[in-house]
Amino acid sequence: MPELIIDDIPAHVPEGTNVLEAARSIGITIPHFCWHPALGKAGACRACAVKMLEGPIKGIQMSCMLPAQDGMVVSTTDGEAVAMRRAVIEWLMINHPHDCPVCDEGGECQLQDYTIAGGHSIRRYNGLKRTHVNQYLGEQIEHEMNRCIQCYRCVHFYQEYAGGTDFGVMGRAGSVYFGRQQDGQLESPFSGNLADICPTGVFTDKTARFRARYWDYDMAPSICPGCSLGCNTVPMARYRELLKVTARRNDEVNGWFICDRGRFSNTAVNAPERPRQAQVDDEAVSMDIALDSLIERLTGFLELHGPEGLAIVGSPRMSQEAAIMAARLREVTGAGTLCYFGDVLHAERTLEAVSLLNTDNSTSQEDVRQADLIAIMECDLLTEAPMMALAVRQAWRNGARIFIVGSECRLDSGQQNLYEVGAAVSLAAVPFTEARRPLVICGIRHKGLEAIRDTAQLGVKTSFIMDGPNAFGCAMLALEQGAISFSEALAGGRVKGIISLEADLPPELSPEIRVLAAADWLSTHLTEKAEVVLPVTSWVEMDGTYVNNEGRTQHFKQVMKPGVPIKGLTPELHPPRIHRHDPPGGDILPTEKIISELLERLGAANE
Amino acid sequence: MEQILLKHTHHGRCLSFEEYRFSGGFEALAKALKDMTPAEVQQDVIDSGLRGRGGAGFPTGKKWSFVPRDLPGPRYLICNCDEMEPGTYKDRVLLERNPHLLVEGMALACYALEVHHAFIFVRYGYEQAAGNLRQSIAAAGRSGFLGDNILGSDFSLELDVHQSAGRYICGEETALINALEGKRANPRAKPPFPAIKGLWGQPTVVNNVETLANIPAIITGGPLLWKNLAATPEAAGTKLFCISGHVVNTNCFELPLGMTLGEIIDGPSGGMRSGSRFKACIPGGAATPYFTEAHLGVPMDFDPVAKAGSRLGTGGIVVFDQNTCMVAVTLNLIRFFARESCGWCTPCREGLPFVRHTLERIEAGRGESNDIDILREHVHMLNYAFCALAPGAMGPVEGLLRLFYDELEAHILEKKCPFKKQ
Repeated sequence: MPELIIDDIPAHVPEGTNVLEAARSIGITIPHFCWHPALGKAGACRACAVKMLEGPIKGIQMSCMLPAQDGMVVSTTDGEAVAMRRAVIEWLMINHPHDCPVCDEGGECQLQDYTIAGGHSIRRYNGLKRTHVNQYLGEQIEHEMNRCIQCYRCVHFYQEYAGGTDFGVMGRAGSVYFGRQQDGQLESPFSGNLADICPTGVFTDKTARFRARYWDYDMAPSICPGCSLGCNTVPMARYRELLKVTARRNDEVNGWFICDRGRFSNTAVNAPERPRQAQVDDEAVSMDIALDSLIERLTGFLELHGPEGLAIVGSPRMSQEAAIMAARLREVTGAGTLCYFGDVLHAERTLEAVSLLNTDNSTSQEDVRQADLIAIMECDLLTEAPMMALAVRQAWRNGARIFIVGSECRLDSGQQNLYEVGAAVSLAAVPFTEARRPLVICGIRHKGLEAIRDTAQLGVKTSFIMDGPNAFGCAMLALEQGAISFSEALAGGRVKGIISLEADLPPELSPEIRVLAAADWLSTHLTEKAEVVLPVTSWVEMDGTYVNNEGRTQHFKQVMKPGVPIKGLTPELHPPRIHRHDPPGGDILPTEKIISELLERLGAANE
Repeated sequence: MEQILLKHTHHGRCLSFEEYRFSGGFEALAKALKDMTPAEVQQDVIDSGLRGRGGAGFPTGKKWSFVPRDLPGPRYLICNCDEMEPGTYKDRVLLERNPHLLVEGMALACYALEVHHAFIFVRYGYEQAAGNLRQSIAAAGRSGFLGDNILGSDFSLELDVHQSAGRYICGEETALINALEGKRANPRAKPPFPAIKGLWGQPTVVNNVETLANIPAIITGGPLLWKNLAATPEAAGTKLFCISGHVVNTNCFELPLGMTLGEIIDGPSGGMRSGSRFKACIPGGAATPYFTEAHLGVPMDFDPVAKAGSRLGTGGIVVFDQNTCMVAVTLNLIRFFARESCGWCTPCREGLPFVRHTLERIEAGRGESNDIDILREHVHMLNYAFCALAPGAMGPVEGLLRLFYDELEAHILEKKCPFKKQ
């Protein structure tokens, strides 16, 4: 544990920490561009210069390159260090355009911050700026090479961290160029992170370009609902439109990055066809009337078919709160069936996986990154949980051996760039005993329960890749509540009517089964068929909880108020001409609130 | 003045392998393999006082001693033949006349370092040198001086010539290693030094052509005999000096280390051309601060030159007469360095073009008084670049500010270059 003094403040840091991180640990931010916690040191930008006053090394040093050692006395405010940092900013600004007001990065630009903080304000270089041609990098990432300050973060991430091969650095001296051999869509499924890690405006999120400044955003810590991994995000919205999603650091889970699927998935939230208005028999009504009507229909239904005929159907898309309330609704109505899963195999496998996991053997993405042997079992990681593939790559980069077992482990579609694998015929052939931190990643989509039991019997840490952001939570509730899958319930022949709560059921649902109500924020065949349509909030419009595939309970906060985005309003609706408390489409509730409204009407709210 | 590097060679043609053998070639290798242990070979190199001829002048034996012998996996020796500094052409002359000396020197070095695979990294443009080396390696292989069980011993060596894809930065040893591995030629962070973690992560020694070519003579004649070839007691051995500029004989000469600058210019260089008076010179390749008349008595050896404010560097001496504008000279050099920056770190990538731009303005008569401050700041701040390219490039600028301040100021005050006629 080296002890050093930085600007007269003592710091104790773990072995291997660099001086820049040590300064951070005591609240001193040293400017930096090329260094990134996940990508490590590069020493390229020279912006993190400090003066070493005492200790084994003296003089001006780059704090990112220097491991903290006992007896170091560091000054970040020394005149020479400040002059060096100012010089670096002056050099970088020689070629950087002075057009922050028309740059999409303006306001969230590290270069802008450090230029102002560094004290460079008068331009002494009066020559021409170097210019580059921008490339088309696909519909998601905008490229503006003139803004580049050559910190090399993008190549470090793209090639080393994410294994991409179609993007890199070209040229030399003053004409270093970061791009592709020719225009074209970036191939890496993690390319969106370029927008996050670029310290200035070379790579920006094209889907949200010029829509808002940083201070305009509605944003809050959130969880990605894209798969079961529960990567941490910060969605950013404005005027009730989800504009973009950025990665939020969580060292245990996703680290610093997220996949492109999670990042560029805001269309459903903003979709014009999204249910915004409560309906009864295809007629727009207020939420109150819709709920009253549902109670009326429910009472009639129960009288006619008895509670056994009713199925309360949820899905792993629901927040844990909604899933719990669904169980309560079943209790109060006495419904014969409670379902969280549509398909019987899916339900069985998820329940089995959840019951096999415990605090000792469940595996985080960080555990995967630290593993030294990984067996990937019946799972196409890039399709089912892309960030897990990135975690496996980090383990592989650190020397871990990777084995694949089963026919579903695809090695095309870019996976071959991420890690080298050895194929094993069966789990028994994987040399777990040779490793110190072995683990298994097992898919549950494809092969039966056998594989799952085999996986758990090995006694090594296991990660199951499930379907849906709250599959784990729903499976726990299903075990507790005796819920069955919808296909089993159908086979039983009792189901005469369903209340769908964000449910995903096969479209070939028998027309004899009444869809009494469908509460959802997505437009599905159930919302089309439902007698009562109850629009609910999406995950960015509410607080809630997901339990991810390792059993980690993660809370997400409301990012924006619900309602039709201003962009989608017709001139009759915007600007508003009548006074109202909620924006159009803004009187919707989270699913669990809808259920509690129902319970209240059923006289069971306070039980 | 005894020669060892250019001995027996002929201007304009390459010594044949047979001629080299006839003149005593590969006897040093035979002697070492027969009578000496690797440690003894290394000790001879340490005792000889041989210092690296590539520019930095680091003691060769000491560099070798940093290589750990107990790590698993191979060790490597790389010969740095990426000679690309303006004013320096000694390795080309040596390899175009006698490539066999390098092959033998490398074999000896590999024996001392217990290396079994070595590489010669040749500059892009050095077609002739690379061809000579390939022929020499093939001939040495046929004669049993390379390959498996050399001369019946249990020492085996494979030697490969790699022709660079080009760029000055490849001469920086860690950038060279990256280039050899097929990566971008950006320098690597030190530590770890190549001696610990170099080519493909293995201990690696990178030595200059001339350095390695001296080793056969050290082994044949013994370290003391070789050391005493120098002109002063402090210096060791001979050195190839490449003379260019306004002197009569512009050529590459092998001279004892420690001869004074004046002796070199007046002796082998034949003095200044008629009508020319000595004004200044670059003493050791483009990255070294200038010497003036005041320095003509400086012995051309590593320490005395450093003490006089410059560096012996590669021994490439470029002489300027009284009609030379030193601002223009510096600008010409900076243009080279700014172009050859690898683009990795900010001070070099952006700072050198800033200096170039400033010098261009001054030379064109558009300089302002604060331009001198800009130059001064860069001389200071470019020391904190990633590798030695930028600090080296600032050598001439530092010399310009220190020795030719009046000339620089005159450009700014008169708003024109005083040396331009009209």
